[in-house]
Amino acid sequence: MRRKRSGILPTTSPNSSRTGTGSPSGLLRWPVLPIVAGLLLSGCIQMAKPETFFELTPDSVKHKALQSRMFEMTDEKELLSASAAVLQDLGFQVEESEVDAGVLRAAKERSARSVWQEIAQGLVFVLGLFGQKAVIMPVDLHQQIGATLVTRHAENDTSRYTVRILFHRKVWKGDGNDGNTYIPPGQQSMEIIYDAEIYRQFFAKLSKSLFLEAQQI
Amino acid sequence: MNGRLAVFIAGVCLSLAACAGPQKPPEDLLALTDAQLKIRSFQTRTFDTQDSNNVLRAVIGSLQDLGFIIERANAPMGLVTAGKFAGQGYAGFVEVTVIVRSTETKQSEVRVNALFNTKPIEDPKVYQNFFTSLERSLFVSR
Repeated sequence: MRRKRSGILPTTSPNSSRTGTGSPSGLLRWPVLPIVAGLLLSGCIQMAKPETFFELTPDSVKHKALQSRMFEMTDEKELLSASAAVLQDLGFQVEESEVDAGVLRAAKERSARSVWQEIAQGLVFVLGLFGQKAVIMPVDLHQQIGATLVTRHAENDTSRYTVRILFHRKVWKGDGNDGNTYIPPGQQSMEIIYDAEIYRQFFAKLSKSLFLEAQQI
Repeated sequence: MNGRLAVFIAGVCLSLAACAGPQKPPEDLLALTDAQLKIRSFQTRTFDTQDSNNVLRAVIGSLQDLGFIIERANAPMGLVTAGKFAGQGYAGFVEVTVIVRSTETKQSEVRVNALFNTKPIEDPKVYQNFFTSLERSLFVSR
């Protein structure tokens, strides 16, 4: 009975379970449990509610106001090319453009390493050593900042155009280690940027390049 | 010990399941079934406007309102593809393809296909929500 209890506690170090002649269970149990748990949990992701994917949230209007400005001009092409030039100034590469639909997509790649995350990684590693486990927390390595810009004329009036830009960020994590389990690199996360200052700066630059005042919508 | 062995064997079986040989494609792979026709009917909606470019722009606008990132747009074809991360912890990925065509009856037809984690979404409610948002976007632009 006592032996069984000691087998359940996650204090057995990887080396002791490999060399220990009496308990091959340590070797079997720990990789199997995460695999089974992973398989069970992968079912939970499917349980997200698809009907909410196309539902407007109370924040939608606020975000639209943040991301849009109106310009009094008639030439949509000029508006798009000025926007492309501003994005280039900001270090973006234009990846996709469709003048007839008023769409522009640009991206820039940057390092996502941060000192704080590396300090946290070090701390977790040291804490893990007390538990006799080699824990290396994956940290952010690389990021891609994307911008999608759309122009659209306003309410039957081709003399005014709305520019809406949406900035987002994709982050890729490096590899890590959790005791016996290796965490492969490439774990991806994404967020839409809602920082008003970033949008304000972009539209300030765009107004400057068009010699026009941007109007809040 | 037997219990542990059983768990181990179960794990091995699950891993080996991936090694099964390639299956023959089902014979009805490209056949048009009733279910598909039904899905197509709620993925499609017609609008009383000839200006399909305006509808396309409204589609792009409503997708942006819904937090989608426009990946590709082709105005002559009336095509838009967009995507966003969604679900618990933003672990899933929603992809959507929209095609706008002008019909012979001087209307515009909008067809939407949505995938969640590469699996087609077949819930009519999802498409209904999209068209509600699109109608709002079309209405605002007029």
